[in-house]
Amino acid sequence: MLKQERNERTRAYIFLSIGLIITLYPFVLMVMSSFMTPSQLLNNPSMIIPMPWTWSGYTGLFKDLNILLLFKNTIIIAGSVTLLNLFFDSLAAFALAKLKFPGKNALFGFMLFTLMIPGVLFFIPTYTMLYNWGWVNHYRALIIPSFVQFYSIFLMKQFMEQIPDEVIEAARIDGASDPVIYARIIVPMSIPVMATIAILTFMGAWNDFFGPLLYLRSPSMWTVQLGLQMFSSTIPGQNIQVLWAGEVVITLPILIVFLFLQKYFIRAFTNVSFK
Amino acid sequence: MKDFLRTLKRSKWGYIFVAPWIVGFLVFSVYPLWLGIKMTFLNYNLVAPQSIKFIGFQNWINGFTDPLFWKSLVNILYNQAIFIILTFFIALLVAYLLFKISNGNKFWNAFFRSAYFVPTITSVVVVMLVLGNITAPYGPIQTLLVKWHILTQPIVWNLTPILIMPVIAVITSWMSFGIQAIILLGGMGTIPTEFTEAARIDGAKEGTIFWRIIFPLLRPQIVFIMVMNAIGGLQMFTQVYVNFGVTGGPDQAGMTPVLYIYSEGLSKFQMGYSSTLGFILSILIIIATVATLKVLQERS
Repeated sequence: MLKQERNERTRAYIFLSIGLIITLYPFVLMVMSSFMTPSQLLNNPSMIIPMPWTWSGYTGLFKDLNILLLFKNTIIIAGSVTLLNLFFDSLAAFALAKLKFPGKNALFGFMLFTLMIPGVLFFIPTYTMLYNWGWVNHYRALIIPSFVQFYSIFLMKQFMEQIPDEVIEAARIDGASDPVIYARIIVPMSIPVMATIAILTFMGAWNDFFGPLLYLRSPSMWTVQLGLQMFSSTIPGQNIQVLWAGEVVITLPILIVFLFLQKYFIRAFTNVSFK
Repeated sequence: MKDFLRTLKRSKWGYIFVAPWIVGFLVFSVYPLWLGIKMTFLNYNLVAPQSIKFIGFQNWINGFTDPLFWKSLVNILYNQAIFIILTFFIALLVAYLLFKISNGNKFWNAFFRSAYFVPTITSVVVVMLVLGNITAPYGPIQTLLVKWHILTQPIVWNLTPILIMPVIAVITSWMSFGIQAIILLGGMGTIPTEFTEAARIDGAKEGTIFWRIIFPLLRPQIVFIMVMNAIGGLQMFTQVYVNFGVTGGPDQAGMTPVLYIYSEGLSKFQMGYSSTLGFILSILIIIATVATLKVLQERS
């Protein structure tokens, strides 16, 4: 019995390792290509080891791609969206999870219903509205409309429901008001879910292409994704290694955060279901 | 009245805390929705607002009879049919393999889970550039296939209409199977081991245990995945935009509905018409979502 289980496990390891090669090969190729010379990239596409190694892809990032500016723009946008969401989502989640007020269940039901509405419905009208408000080519067009998001409220609410009511009641008897309870009890006890939301929101904004494409016109305001795409569509064949290096450096920050906080990422997706 | 005021006072903070969401929803969803409905009856050129004209149902009639819009719908259905089936079965297999090793070595368990998740956290732009390069006619794969005489000559998939959507489906699959596998694995973790152990003692084969016991119990996760497919997949944009811009590629084989709406709205500034197409697409997506829920939940 045990032996059979061990055999099955060994077989699973073998299959998973084969799958892993297919899954990670593009990343290996991406990193290796970023160190290659243009002539090797063009003439020997199936070779994986750079011969010779060159850093010209990475030095080209500063010259051809203005990578520091792209990083700065993206951090301003993604950072603002993340901070706003952490604050406003957690407030709403606290109210829905722990406070009593007439209409709460109806409101929550309605919020759930809004998840079913496809985003494309708002695409053109919102663009028209922000265009007429003069928000195009301003960071606020990408920050303000996403300052609060229901999916994050939902995840936070599920987590906060597990905080024992007695803790909150005890604070209330001591005379704490709801904002004090939020700041002193709810936030400190919700750090894991806050971390999950922070990562997912930041990653979403960092990886977003559609929003920046719609609203950011001048190259000085572009984000990493938009900047790289624009670069790729105008690239002269001469410095193709810069494109590879660009792919590496805009993927790296998210990858590093993921490696350190992977359990929060994965936790966010292990409990989802539709009953 | 006094009671009412007291309830209101006690619930004050609850209302204040949910108010930002309500305000955000009113300003960035309800108002645009109303604006959008109005726009569907207007000939509205964004950069020439003085020429706004009421044209009744003309936008709707044009939308329902626009051959390119219907072509874009056929394209995305062709893409999704391949994407959904391919991704789901790969994810199911990977989830089952990860489930098998979940009692084994802790380090390798976490390692494999995370490694399979990495494509999911990569941006669509980077994925399309890297995998576009790998699948290119003189990219690494085709070069080897030609060298080994499996292919007589390289295939330029992004100039071959029939191949565009399948290749994009495979690339998107590579990007998405990890997250689906993690979701399914979450479901497998909740199945009591007595269920599978009892069947095993009765001499049931592994395949039987999987399809008869584990698979049916994954229904909540499968419904979730399929609903997300219906909502997200039909709104594909970046994958085709990165490859073809607003043109949709040769023979418009890479044109998707959202790309078409984008090109009508942001290249031609036809806000009334593109808004109408957004409504038609949204209605179709809602129908697809409800149908998915109905079909998958009914069999319980």
